[in-house]
Amino acid sequence: MSNVVHAPRLALAMLAALALAACSQNKDVAAGDPGHASGQHGSSSSAGLPGGRIPIGEQLASAKGKATGQSCIDCHGAEGNAPIDPTYPLLGGQYADYLAHSLQAYRAGDRQHALMTSQATGLSDQDISDLAAYFGSRPTKLRDLHGL
Amino acid sequence: MMRPLPLAALLAFAAALSVAAVTAQVAPETATVAAPAASDLAPAAAPVLVGNAENGRILAYTCQGCHGVTGYKNAYPSFRVPLIGGQSAEYTAQALHEYKAGNRKHPTMQAQAESFSSQDIADLSIYLSSLK
Repeated sequence: MSNVVHAPRLALAMLAALALAACSQNKDVAAGDPGHASGQHGSSSSAGLPGGRIPIGEQLASAKGKATGQSCIDCHGAEGNAPIDPTYPLLGGQYADYLAHSLQAYRAGDRQHALMTSQATGLSDQDISDLAAYFGSRPTKLRDLHGL
Repeated sequence: MMRPLPLAALLAFAAALSVAAVTAQVAPETATVAAPAASDLAPAAAPVLVGNAENGRILAYTCQGCHGVTGYKNAYPSFRVPLIGGQSAEYTAQALHEYKAGNRKHPTMQAQAESFSSQDIADLSIYLSSLK
């Protein structure tokens, strides 16, 4: 049998694997897991972000943004857990890959906020990964809806 | 420095203000929360919606499909759907109004938010904020 005969089957199998991956429900991931952006899984996310570095993210979190003159923690509070405004979200312990996605969305204009759009515009992919890894690693007041 | 917000964002802001007022009524302990820092924006006239946490609990059943599965992943781009329990009612209401207005992009969340009335959003937001 030549490889040519197997090629269609292989393609089908790969398609099936992709479909399964698209539906994946990773139930084993602990809530406190910093996730893809932390680099702890040894791979970047599908968004192509580099691994996140928590200590660098901690420094960035208190660095003033050029456009706003504000740092992350100026508005979201220490460890992202004490927002100064009720419309500002808690960040501490939020999934790092979601935080990274949010910053990418602000940067791309897919999500709008007077302050956050400016704040995210100057961030590199590495900055986003580092910030996401830091806030994702903090204690959290958040939870999912499992078991409710 | 701060550029004008689009109309939809203003509406969402007004809705968030409504929820803030609601929170003050429903939960006295949160009544001391400071007014939004963006209060220099002209607040649009909006009805004050009293969030009903019990109704919110029922509405939240539909959220369980994704947000009730620990570590559930959005696909392409791949990221875990956010933890939404315990987030402030004001933030959640704003997020849902932004999805509803199309200012925040996510096909599933936009579809969900479009199916919610402003009252539904107030109810859901109050309920989700109460979770510990």
